[in-house]
Amino acid sequence: MTTDRSRARSAGRQRDGAAHTAPSRARSAGARWRAQAAAWGFLAPVVLYLAAFYAYPLYRNIDLSIRSYTLASFVTGDAPFAGFANYISIFHSSTFAPALINTTIFVFVSIAFQFAIGLALAVFFYRRFPLSATLRALFLIPWLLPLLVSASTWSWMLNSDSGIVNSFLQAVGAAPIDWLTSPHWSLAAVLIANIWIGIPFNLVIMYSGLQSVSADIFEAASIDGANGWQRFWRITFPLLRPVSAITLLLGFIYTLKVFDIIWIMTRGGPATASTTLAIWSYQLGFGSLLPDFSSAAAVGNVLIIIAVIFALIYIRARNRLETT
Amino acid sequence: MKRRSWWLTALGVLFTAAMLFPVYWMINVSLTQTSNMRKSPPNLIPVDATLQGYSAVIHQQLPYLGTSLMVALGTVVVTLALSAPAGYSLAKLRPKGGGALNFVLLIAQMIPAIVMAMGFYTIYIKLGLLDSVWGLIIADSTIAVPFGVLIFTAFMSRIPDELLQAARIDGAGTMRTFLSVVMPVSRNAVVTVSLFGFLWAWSDFLFANTLDNGAGLQPITLGIYAYIGNNNQQWNAIMATAVVASVPAAVLLVLAQRYVAAGVTAGAVKD
Amino acid sequence: MTVQITRRARTALLTITAITAAAALAACSSSSSTSTSAPASAGGTSATSASGGTYTLWDPYPQYNASSAWWKAVAACGTQAGVTIKHTAYDTTALTTQALLAGQQGKSPDILLIDNPVVSTLASAGILTTTAQNGLSTGTIAQNILGAGVINGKTYGVPIGANTLALYYNPTILKAANVDPASITSWATLTAALAKVKAIGKKGITFSGINTEEGSFQFLPWFWGAGANLTNLNSPQAVAALTLWTTWIKDGYAPNSVIQNTQTTSWQEFQTGDYAFGENGTWQKAGAATMGAKVIPIPSESGGAAPVPTGGEFFTIPVQKDTSTYATSAKIVTCLTSGNSIISTDNTLNYIAPTQSAQQAQVATDASLQSWVNAVGVAKARTGDNLGTKYPIISQQMWTAVQKAESGAAAPSAALAAAQTAAQAGINK
Repeated sequence: MTTDRSRARSAGRQRDGAAHTAPSRARSAGARWRAQAAAWGFLAPVVLYLAAFYAYPLYRNIDLSIRSYTLASFVTGDAPFAGFANYISIFHSSTFAPALINTTIFVFVSIAFQFAIGLALAVFFYRRFPLSATLRALFLIPWLLPLLVSASTWSWMLNSDSGIVNSFLQAVGAAPIDWLTSPHWSLAAVLIANIWIGIPFNLVIMYSGLQSVSADIFEAASIDGANGWQRFWRITFPLLRPVSAITLLLGFIYTLKVFDIIWIMTRGGPATASTTLAIWSYQLGFGSLLPDFSSAAAVGNVLIIIAVIFALIYIRARNRLETT
Repeated sequence: MKRRSWWLTALGVLFTAAMLFPVYWMINVSLTQTSNMRKSPPNLIPVDATLQGYSAVIHQQLPYLGTSLMVALGTVVVTLALSAPAGYSLAKLRPKGGGALNFVLLIAQMIPAIVMAMGFYTIYIKLGLLDSVWGLIIADSTIAVPFGVLIFTAFMSRIPDELLQAARIDGAGTMRTFLSVVMPVSRNAVVTVSLFGFLWAWSDFLFANTLDNGAGLQPITLGIYAYIGNNNQQWNAIMATAVVASVPAAVLLVLAQRYVAAGVTAGAVKD
Repeated sequence: MTVQITRRARTALLTITAITAAAALAACSSSSSTSTSAPASAGGTSATSASGGTYTLWDPYPQYNASSAWWKAVAACGTQAGVTIKHTAYDTTALTTQALLAGQQGKSPDILLIDNPVVSTLASAGILTTTAQNGLSTGTIAQNILGAGVINGKTYGVPIGANTLALYYNPTILKAANVDPASITSWATLTAALAKVKAIGKKGITFSGINTEEGSFQFLPWFWGAGANLTNLNSPQAVAALTLWTTWIKDGYAPNSVIQNTQTTSWQEFQTGDYAFGENGTWQKAGAATMGAKVIPIPSESGGAAPVPTGGEFFTIPVQKDTSTYATSAKIVTCLTSGNSIISTDNTLNYIAPTQSAQQAQVATDASLQSWVNAVGVAKARTGDNLGTKYPIISQQMWTAVQKAESGAAAPSAALAAAQTAAQAGINK
C-alpha cells in the first residue's frame, strides 16, 4: 500500500514538478495549514468514533484488570487497586501454558491454511471459465452463516457417533476419530472449522489483489515463454506481497480473537485441550456461575498486547522492505 | 481450449461442492425429525423429512429478518460514511500523524468482541441506546470501520494525482473533489467495504445478544433463540432459520460479486 | 455530513426524551419506571388501581413469546397489581451477566427469574433483596426446594417450581434384554443391566458429561449417591463415582459423545430408540410419554434412590433505588406463585410445584407425576449445605475433572485430586 502510494506520489511530483514549483512555494504556509485542516476534517468523524467506541471499552478493560473486582465491587464500582496482581495470578495459573500453546498453534496453522487455500482458489478462479463468477460467489456462503450455525453444523458433522465425517471414515475403512471429545483431536477439529470459515475472506482479498496486478504484465510474461508456475512464483506472487502481508496480519489479528467457533464446538475442552486465550478470557468472565471479571480482563489484555507486538513486527518488516 | 475450460469448470464445481458440504448438511438437519437427530449413522439425505422447522420459521421469524436487513444496511451506510473520507484523507491529503492513526486503527481491531460489548453496554445504558436498532448499527459498524479505512486507503492511494489536480484546476475544493471525482472512481472499494460490512452485521450475534436482548426489534441471530429454550433446543427449526436467513444475503452476494467484476473492467484505473 | 446530521438528530432526540421522561415522572408520583429502554411509558393511564406504571420482568425462557400461556399469566398478574409488565426473555447463560451489568448501572429489573444456583452469586453481588426487605412470604414451600435461595439464614427468592433428574428407560429394549426395571436399585444392578443390553446389540446408557454446569448437574446424583460431599472432591467415594462413568465409557456401555452431550443432545440420542437408559430431567416427560419411555429413580451405590440436585428457577426481587416498588413486585410474584397460578405455570414449564398442596393437585390431574414428586422430595440444592458462592468454583473444577477422566487425559483419582486443589485455591483466593 505505502509502496504504491509513495510511487504514485513521486510519479506525480516528477510529472508536475517543473510547471508547479514556483506557485506552490508561494502558497506554502497558509495553504499547508488549510490542507492539514481539510485532511484532519475528513478524519474527524473516525477519530471521534474511535475515542467513543474503542477507547472507552479498552479503558474499562484495563481498569477491570488492574483492580481486584469481586462481584459486589463490580456492581458498586469501588474496587481496590491491585496493580499487576491479576496478571501475575493468571501467569501462575495452570491454564496459562496450555492456553498460550493452543493459541499459537491455532493462529499459525489457521492463517497458513486459510491464506494458502484462499490464494490457490483466487488463482484458480482468476482464469475465466464458464461459471467461475457464480462459483466464486457461492464460495462466500459460509461467511453469511451466523457463527452459531456454522459451529453447530461442524459439531454435528464431527460427532463421534452420529457425525457424517466418522461415517465417511468408516465407509473408507479408516477408524472413527473422537473429533470433539479427544484431548488429541479437539484442537484439530476447531482448526478445521475455523479454516473453513476463514477461506472466503482470504479468497475475496487475494482475488481483488490479483485483479489489481496489471494484465499487461501477465501477457508480457507469457510472450517471454514463462509457463504458468514460473509466472506465478516469479511475477504474480512478489507483486502480491503487500496485499498478502496485510491479509496475513489481519488474519492474525482476527484469528487471535476467535471465540465463537471454539466455544460452541468444544467450549475449550476436554479440560484445556482446545482452550485458547480468548476462550480462557470468556470462561473466566462468563463461563461459570461465578464471574471473575478482573482475571478475564487481564487475559483479554494479554491477547491485545500479543497482537500489538506482532503488529509492530509487521510494521518494522514492512518499513525495512521499503527502504531496501 | 474449450475442453480445458470445461475441465476447469468441473474442478470448480468439485471444489465448491466440497466447500459447501457443511451448508448442505445444515439443510439436511433443518429437514430432519427431532427423533432422528442423533441417529447413528446419520442419514445422508433427509428421509422421513419434516417441514416443521420451516413452518416455525415462516410463522415467527420474518420480522427478525426485516430487522436484520435494517441493521445490516444501516451498518453499511455508517461504515461508508466514516471510512471513505478517512481513507481519502490518509491516502491523498497527507495528514500529519496519519501513520499513528493507521496504527491506532490496527489496535482497534485487536480488542476482543466481548470487551467491546461490555463497554458498549455501559455507554448505551447512559445514552439510552440499548434495545435499539441504531445502537446495534453503531456496534456492528465497529467491526467494519477500521477494515473499511484500510481498504479505502489502499484503493484511493492508487488514484493518479493528475485526476485530483485536474479537479483542483477546475476550481473544486477538497470536498467537491472527494464527492465528484474520488468516490465514483472508488466504486470497487465501496462495493468491497459494503459487502464486508453487510455480512459482518448480518451474522453478528454477540453484540445483538448483549445490547438488544430486550423487547422490540431484534435481528435474526437472536430470533434463533426462540428455539433454544432453557432446557430444550429445536435444532431443525434453528437450522431452518439459518437457511432462510442465508437466502437474501446470498442473493445480495451474487449481485455484488457481479458488480465488482464490472467495476474492474469498466472503470479500471490504469497505471 | 451524513454522520454529523445523525449525531445532531440523536442529541436532539435525547434531549426531548429526557424532558418527556422527567415530565412523566413528575406527573405520576407513585409510578416507578425501571424500564431499560429510553422513553418511560406514560404512567398513570392504566385502567385499574391507584398506582400505574411499568414494571420489568426478566426470565430465562426465550422459547415463549407473547402468545404463550406463561406470558399471559404474567400480564394478568400485572394487571391485577395495577401495573403493566414489560416482559423480556433472555438466554439463560446470558442472564447472569445481564443482571450484573444492569445492577451495576442501577437499571435492574423489578422481578428477575433466575436459575437457582445463580441466586447466591447475585446475592453476594448485593443486587438482590431479602424476604425481610421485599415482603415475600415463603410459607408452605418445601425446605429442600427453597434451600438454594437461602444464604446465611436470609432468603433471597422463592422458587417457581422444581425439576430434577431420573433415569428414563426404554421398556422394549429392557424386555428384550430380560431386565426387570424394578430390580435396578444399585450401581451393581445397573451395570449388570447395561451388560445384558449390550449383549443383545443395543446401546446402554446416555447422559451429559459436558464441561458446563449441565455436566455437573448430571454427575451429582452419582457423586452424592456414592456418599461423596462437594467440600471434598478427592474423597474415595468421589473417585468411585467418576470411575463408574469412565468404566461405562471404556466398556462401551456409554457412548463417547457423552463428553460433549448437553442434556438435549443426550435426549436426542435416547430418542433414536437405540439406548436402554437415558439420564434426564422432568422437562422431558412429555417427549418420553410419546415414545413410551418410563422412569426409575437414579440408584445410589449401595442401594436406594440417590440424592438428586434441584433444577428450576427462582423469583427474585432486585435492589431498586425506589424501595416503594418492592411491595408491588412482591404482589406480582405472589400472584404468580399462589394457588392455581403456580399449578398451571408449572404444568406449562414441566416443573413440579414447590408446595405440597400444589404437588398433590398436579398428581391428581396426571398420575405419572408421582414418581417425579418423589424424586423432587429427596432432591437437594446444589448451593445448599451453606456452600453458596463456593459451589460455582467447586462445580467448575468438578466438571473439568470429569472431562479429563472421560476423555482419558487423566485417571479419575488424579483428575479429582487436581480438581480439589484448584477448588481450594479458588475458594481461598
